[in-house]
Amino acid sequence: MKGGTEMGQRLVVTVVGGMLIAALAAGGAVGSAAPAPVTLGVLTPLSPPGDPAAGQLIERGAELGIQYINTVMGGLFGGKGGCALPATQVRLAVEDDSGLPEKAIAGFRRLVSEDHAVAVWGQFHSSAMLAAAPLADQLGVPFISTQASAADITAKHFKAVFRTHPIDPDRAAAWLGWIQAQGWHKVAMLAENTDYGIGLAEATKSLIAAKKMNVTLDAVIFDRTSSDLTPQLLKFKAEKPDVLLNVGVGTPAYLIIKQAHDIGLFPQVPMLGSYDFPVRPEYWKNLGAAGNYLAFISYYHPRMALSPLGKWAAIEYAKRYKDVAIYSNLNSFGDAVILAEAMNQACSSDPTKIIAALERGRFDTWIGSGATFPRGAGVYWHQWSPPMVILQFTQTDETYDQAPILYPTAMKTGTYTGPH
Amino acid sequence: MDVTLLVQYGLAGLVIGVIYCLMAVGITFIYSIMKMINWAMGEFFMIGGYLQYLLITGWLGSSRWYLALPLAAVGAGLLGMLVQRVLLRPMFVGQVERLDEYATIVTISLTVLLRNLAVVVFGPYQFSPADYAPPVMLGPLPLNGSRFAAFVGTIVLLGVFAMVMRWTWFGRALRAAAQNRLGALCAGINLPRLDMLAFGIGVGLAGAAGALLAPVFLVFPQSGALSTVKGFEIIVIGGLGSLPGSIVGGLLLGLVESLGSVFVSPSFRDVYGFGLLLLILVLRPTGLWGERTREA
Repeated sequence: MKGGTEMGQRLVVTVVGGMLIAALAAGGAVGSAAPAPVTLGVLTPLSPPGDPAAGQLIERGAELGIQYINTVMGGLFGGKGGCALPATQVRLAVEDDSGLPEKAIAGFRRLVSEDHAVAVWGQFHSSAMLAAAPLADQLGVPFISTQASAADITAKHFKAVFRTHPIDPDRAAAWLGWIQAQGWHKVAMLAENTDYGIGLAEATKSLIAAKKMNVTLDAVIFDRTSSDLTPQLLKFKAEKPDVLLNVGVGTPAYLIIKQAHDIGLFPQVPMLGSYDFPVRPEYWKNLGAAGNYLAFISYYHPRMALSPLGKWAAIEYAKRYKDVAIYSNLNSFGDAVILAEAMNQACSSDPTKIIAALERGRFDTWIGSGATFPRGAGVYWHQWSPPMVILQFTQTDETYDQAPILYPTAMKTGTYTGPH
Repeated sequence: MDVTLLVQYGLAGLVIGVIYCLMAVGITFIYSIMKMINWAMGEFFMIGGYLQYLLITGWLGSSRWYLALPLAAVGAGLLGMLVQRVLLRPMFVGQVERLDEYATIVTISLTVLLRNLAVVVFGPYQFSPADYAPPVMLGPLPLNGSRFAAFVGTIVLLGVFAMVMRWTWFGRALRAAAQNRLGALCAGINLPRLDMLAFGIGVGLAGAAGALLAPVFLVFPQSGALSTVKGFEIIVIGGLGSLPGSIVGGLLLGLVESLGSVFVSPSFRDVYGFGLLLLILVLRPTGLWGERTREA
């Protein structure tokens, strides 16, 4: 009896095993009909000492981009505007670089070798971007700088590196244009000791010299780990500049405003923030009335017309995150869609073909259409810049859609307002 | 150079120096009692800042910041006592070999854990409670109200701490343990309990510093890094385990950083502090108030 039972058990196991194998084989056959998803990578600061708030905004934009590609575009290749290949879904892999060069290199390598990402974007810190850029060239994987603006990123002519963000000379030209329009001559700058800060100080000096402007610049570079900038600000106060340029990123940007306000330097002396951190929700919470009257560079204003892509992103962002989309979200979203368009134009997810498609194609963005990444001269290599505006908060707790546009003149909706 | 400006720079350096003192006293206090360095001190500074922010914005309101301050310090202190009881006590009662390495590994791991936990719980954003007081003039120096409150608060806290250490039985027990742990044990002092209290008081001081400085330097997951770096610089300058040394070291560091960053370059602000540290180590290897010890 015992032997018969064992035999029966063996039979059952064999039959069940056979059925499982058959089922798995059938599943495999069905699975092989649907192409494996293509992985896109985001490398961005999600923890200190980088600016994790920026990284989180960029990651959210990337998630929206993936949603747009998979749903509205119907996936890669076979979807709308695709080619003859079957529709392929995309998935997102995210790595945290903490704003550190060494972590950026490790993160990029992991995205490509472990997650098999065919393209990467999401960089915010220039130092991290510059560290990972040679690796992108070496691995031949397209790498888009979403918000890192140091000139060297494109000036070094990396074959695989692209940028969809304004560069240092653009930013220097914008603020010097505004300063001249205001009739100011004496400019003080407090810049952090990073590629971003030093690059902007150099770009501003170069432009003043090249255009022989009647502007004097006192640029002071500070250690970005410093928490007390009072002595430098006291020095500036004694020198009575016409305007102070705040070139801090993340916490230092807030500390400069707060400490300048404490010693009576700002808003008595106008201050211009070098990027759009004041549009973030924590700005007024951190600074209260001390943040009023700040002018700042922004790459988007809600009164600017968005493309259909941008409108979709803004609406979906509000639904998904219960918040208003800002530039970091929109540009990261735009980068995802540009890469999808490039893959459709190349009819391939091969990184080399994506790079070629990016160089010769024209792409829709969140702000318009016809973005290109030609092999331009100098810093304009693989470079596309969104528009740049200078806004100003004129009331405490003002939302940035209410903030007047001060510059460029063609888009101006208000004039600089100082304290009474 | 305008004399008023020079006085302003000096005063700014002294104010920040006094604030630095509070960061260093907790570290040196724990070292003097437990003979271990708590590398996670900055994270208790950060926790003090978050507690202060939460208490002010969620319960007490910005006008009652002075009530939130002791609560934040006590909160950080209680967490410190829990950490000491669970993670550090085995070092003293379990015959752990290489105590220094054990303490270093445990407290550095705690630093990473608490910092990342802050990112998960509070997000990566900076927070700041409203200023504690309106701006004031300290001589010719215009001073933010919160910075002035931190300045005065630090002096009061250090004064109370010194009085407790000097004139109470508890302070005597702590000083006895600092001088000779075996002797203190022979005199009937419950050392494990004293260690736990000393650790709680030390990190409570860091928590108080974090709470006092929340509106000045903002609160974010890495905000404690400043207090760790400055704290260790100060205790080496002043002499490991010396409370007067911590105070003088803090003032010196504040002055050197302030004057150096104006007269030389602010890019090297941290270099001035380390330069002072190296100079003191060359001239007096035990620090300004440190004492040579003999080991059997």
